[in-house]
Amino acid sequence: MSALEWWLVLSALLFCIGAFGVLARRNIIVVIMSLEIMLSAVNIALVAIASFRTGVPGGGTLFALFIIALAAAEVTVGIAIVVGNYRHQRTVQADRFDELKG
Amino acid sequence: MMPGGDFHPVLFVILAAWVLVCALGVVLSKKVMYSAVSMVFCFLGVAFAYALLHAELLAIMQLLVYVGAISIVVIFAIMLTEVVEGGYRQFFTRTALAAAALALLTAGAIVVAVVSDGVAGATEKTLNPGLQELSEILFSRYVLPFEVISLVLLAAMVGAIVLSRKQEERR
Repeated sequence: MSALEWWLVLSALLFCIGAFGVLARRNIIVVIMSLEIMLSAVNIALVAIASFRTGVPGGGTLFALFIIALAAAEVTVGIAIVVGNYRHQRTVQADRFDELKG
Repeated sequence: MMPGGDFHPVLFVILAAWVLVCALGVVLSKKVMYSAVSMVFCFLGVAFAYALLHAELLAIMQLLVYVGAISIVVIFAIMLTEVVEGGYRQFFTRTALAAAALALLTAGAIVVAVVSDGVAGATEKTLNPGLQELSEILFSRYVLPFEVISLVLLAAMVGAIVLSRKQEERR
């Protein structure tokens, strides 16, 4: 196996660990953290492919940079929703988020 | 020379073990705070991965944004919300088994696809562009996404402030 394949395998394993966290955990904060791990895994794959392939110079790096910025925005809004919802329902367990009206 | 140029097997193995163990720590910890600390270490490992891949700008950004900012936000959220105590049954629903099977299957499928497809066939090492070249590309070719990202971040900030205000302050 070559270096690129090793990096892609690492990325795949990391992605699946994150996916397991998103699917299996009930605590919504842990779900958000697992989501971040999945995004990081995708970033690793992007950067690895960009460093082993010719293409638009800097394309992979900048794409990963944009993903990092979007992840920051997503965490900000997600955590704000979690904390705001905690004020209403006094819980962070996702299976108890059963009340959609404010 | 190995395909991929300066691929350090030892460093890679250490890094992979570090990142995967920390990621498992995030997913499997009973205490949310342990998960958060594990996440910080996992993101440190990811920054190290970028550095190994010669994407130094990304490594620094990873440290600043993930290890610096996102961890603080998450830890504040944990401190502002409840602490759930209990056994594993309380943290994993019965669907966890199905989720584990699904994740393992997906991992296996991706690994098989990567290995059998000969992705590595024509591996060629290209140097990632340096900071100067990157910033030239960012402000010429990718200037529109750059500006849109700043709008997205502004919207996220405003959204977070609106969402987390107290109820009586809203009108």
